[in-house]
Amino acid sequence: MADKIVIPATKRTEFGKGAARKARRDDLIPAVVYGHGEDPIHVVLPGHQTHLAVRNPNALITLDIEGTEQMVIPKAIQRDIIKRSIDHMDLLTVRRGEKVTVDVYVEVTGEPAVGFEWILEQNTVSVEAEATHLPEHVTIDITDRDENALPEHIQLPEGVTLALTDLESPVVSIHEPVEQDLGDKDEATEGEAVDGETAEGESGENAEGEDS
Amino acid sequence: MLMPRRVKYRKPHRPKRRGRAKGGTELAFGEYGIQALDPAYVTNRQIESARIAMTRHIKRGGKVWINIYPDQPLTKKPAEVRMGSGKGSPEWWIANVKPGRIMFELSGVTEEVAKEALRLAIHKLPMRARVISRESGE
Repeated sequence: MADKIVIPATKRTEFGKGAARKARRDDLIPAVVYGHGEDPIHVVLPGHQTHLAVRNPNALITLDIEGTEQMVIPKAIQRDIIKRSIDHMDLLTVRRGEKVTVDVYVEVTGEPAVGFEWILEQNTVSVEAEATHLPEHVTIDITDRDENALPEHIQLPEGVTLALTDLESPVVSIHEPVEQDLGDKDEATEGEAVDGETAEGESGENAEGEDS
Repeated sequence: MLMPRRVKYRKPHRPKRRGRAKGGTELAFGEYGIQALDPAYVTNRQIESARIAMTRHIKRGGKVWINIYPDQPLTKKPAEVRMGSGKGSPEWWIANVKPGRIMFELSGVTEEVAKEALRLAIHKLPMRARVISRESGE
């Protein structure tokens, strides 16, 4: 477990997109804190510090909301799709000893048996763990395996249990390599493909007539 | 090459290019991906060319996902034809890609191989794009 992350938070008094955009211009992140049936608290968080804290998506953060300490975990993070900056965060309040269900990344270690390749089918798995001891990731060892690795093969840290309903779907599929289509055929028949497109277009016209 | 089997209308208007991608902006399947940074019409040939560039580089192993589909026809009038006499005939099939859209995803190869394969694929595409990974995306 990493060191305790403490982030100072200030309660928001102004709401709406104008106030939120002004906060973002000042390198602050608007956020809402909720949970345990209590009233939500709207806060702003320092941009850089929060960015670093949520590099682990399940980081346990201690918010210092104007003198009151509150433990939270990120519930949802809205990011700008181009800049990847954080636009808004939903933070879920947690208590010491409380169990929560979160999605954690799966890390694959080892190499499968000779002549086999692997594909990670599930990037994340749901686990239940104590809020103060959430794992950053879980590992799955595929060393010398020649068949799919299922959720039961995930190595879970102590105090962590899987919260999956489907235990039959592979987490890592292990199979013999399939021959890739490198497009050599397409290049050879490129001239014909143009005619094919035209024919497609004509059939499309007929289809249009049928529909109308 | 990717193209629809049949369409409701053969010669639709050109799709709008303004705005950002509304969905498909996060990696859904693979560990690495190509994210568009500009709007563009991506033709089925460009998609195929990018896919081939990727699969050639990774040689064996790995899996490639194509998250865009060229479902829009674009028309063109023949060369040296006077204006009028109706709309041209369908010439290309395109996917209307907006900034932020994850177009390709890749998994099952090392980071080094994946980044180089995706870099090669980006060169086949008509807009600025970048390689993103699961770690850097968060």
